[in-house]
Amino acid sequence: MFLGNLASLPHFLPEIAVTVTILLLVALHVATRNRESSAASILSLVGVGAAILLSGASPAGTGRALFEGMVAQDGFAVFFKVLTSLCALVVIFMSMDSAELAGRSRAEYHIFLLSTLLGMFLLASSTDIVMLYLSLEMVSIPSYLLAGYLKGKERSTEAAIKYVVYGATASGVMIYGFSILFGLTGSTQIAEIGRAAASGKASLALLLAAVMVAVGFGYKIAAVPFHMWCPDVYEGAPAPATAFFSVAPKAAGFAVLIRFFFTVFAVPDSTPGLWRLASAFDWPLMFSILSAVTMTVGNFVAIKQNNVKRLLAYSSIAHAGYMMMGFVMLSSAGIQAVLFYLVVYLFMNLGAFYVVVLVSNATRGEEISDFSGLGSRAPLAAVCFAVFLFSLTGIPPFSGFIGKVYLFAEVIHRGVYWLAVVAAVNSVVSLFFYARVVRAMFLEEPKDAAGLPVPALTGAMLVVLAVPTVLLGVYWEPVARIASDSVRMIAF
Amino acid sequence: MTGVLATVDFSNPYFAVLVLLAVALAMSVGFVLLSQALGPKRYDRIKFGVYECGVDPFTPAAVRVSVKFYLVAILFLLFDLETTFLYPWAVLFRSLGLFGFIEMAVFVLILLVGLLYAWKKGALEWQ
Repeated sequence: MFLGNLASLPHFLPEIAVTVTILLLVALHVATRNRESSAASILSLVGVGAAILLSGASPAGTGRALFEGMVAQDGFAVFFKVLTSLCALVVIFMSMDSAELAGRSRAEYHIFLLSTLLGMFLLASSTDIVMLYLSLEMVSIPSYLLAGYLKGKERSTEAAIKYVVYGATASGVMIYGFSILFGLTGSTQIAEIGRAAASGKASLALLLAAVMVAVGFGYKIAAVPFHMWCPDVYEGAPAPATAFFSVAPKAAGFAVLIRFFFTVFAVPDSTPGLWRLASAFDWPLMFSILSAVTMTVGNFVAIKQNNVKRLLAYSSIAHAGYMMMGFVMLSSAGIQAVLFYLVVYLFMNLGAFYVVVLVSNATRGEEISDFSGLGSRAPLAAVCFAVFLFSLTGIPPFSGFIGKVYLFAEVIHRGVYWLAVVAAVNSVVSLFFYARVVRAMFLEEPKDAAGLPVPALTGAMLVVLAVPTVLLGVYWEPVARIASDSVRMIAF
Repeated sequence: MTGVLATVDFSNPYFAVLVLLAVALAMSVGFVLLSQALGPKRYDRIKFGVYECGVDPFTPAAVRVSVKFYLVAILFLLFDLETTFLYPWAVLFRSLGLFGFIEMAVFVLILLVGLLYAWKKGALEWQ
């Protein structure tokens, strides 16, 4: 059922809420003299909170194609809207007492943040390649601005430039792929393209188009070999923005990757919950190899890092590799595992970055040596950080373990043993560098024995993020159910 | 060799295009190589000037362009595109009706907020 423009508006409320908030933020920035006023943060919190409520309030299970088939409103899109909004919410809190952002306009920062969020809403729900491209750019361009937000700081500018050059190349290659797809099938609707691709014979052009599109998506989720921008951008960007980049655009990238490849290059199998390839092009094999390479490169390069932000950047590359395992299984259980892992990853990764922000505010450093003795200087932050890092490793009883169990179970269930072995070896390797940070915190002497003050808000947020990280490791059933409910995508 | 030639379909209408392409390529590359090989070479100061004939250059050709031009160019692009959207709307104004009017009003309003922002930030001033 295609809805017209006017009929679509009632189902487009989360996006409208974010848009109105952005416009109000611009007005606020123009109207007020006090650039560091917390009004911008509060306004953004209200806007994003409204977007979450409006997304959650949409009737589940009923899929609609809005704006003549430009974007879809289905369980899958709603899941990602809530997920990315939650990430934005935490990042807004994180930015409140960031020392890096001191003296810079709060309103402008939040305009970029919410513009990225709006782009991600559209990216997760777009069902038309033109819309898909536009929303991908809408995620990318404000991200460049966020990365370079510390104007005058060399690293930040470097991050922005590298991000722009990589992003422009990747999206250029991707839109070339789209143009080939359009030429082959004569439609911009991904469902139409899927039907045409399935009925026509496999051609080299189709393979080429699929690979080119995969470049664009691979860049967004920072999969090897399109990951080179990631560590430099993460290191140079302001830490709260880095935390945002490491979770939200990656989640939106996975959303569009799953929706696009499952609609265009796969058809539902006669067995419910399974898909089969629509053409001779074996893209799951291509992505399984990319997945194995991504996690291996991420984990092995992370071993050598001394800067904690860079370490977490490589760790986030490795986690994209783990999540790709669920994507290539061509089953709804695999997608469910990816969605569940993204929820878990949201809490543990944002939590880890929260501690990095805290320490870099206090010590002006992000090296592992700056974390030494944190166990005695700020016990709460150190314990929370250890929880997040062990959860990222995938050690029980933390939620990262359950996330990995879902992924591994599906990989083994589908009989792709080599991938499971690679992932298991990688998890062991990752323990080394995560534990290195924990060792510095608890076993090494602090450079400065004085206590490290933890602001009340930061402490509270750390606990808020640590509780689900632990709780989802022992009682995960509700989130797993939400994830499995959200797998249903509409295809017209 | 004859085996290969036997597979070529000379009656294909595009065969002539292929021949044209080959001849054009051979001629253009050939003339460049020929002038390289046969042409006289006399190098002097005038030969290496920016213009061999005409007025002598009196400033270096590489001039620094003020970064302010980029800001103006980007703003121009934005509002130029706005007009691109406004024209087809104006042509179809009657058939689009009230809904089209409100939709365009929202669009212009959003751009207006952007203009206000650019104005307030001093992007329109040339200090």
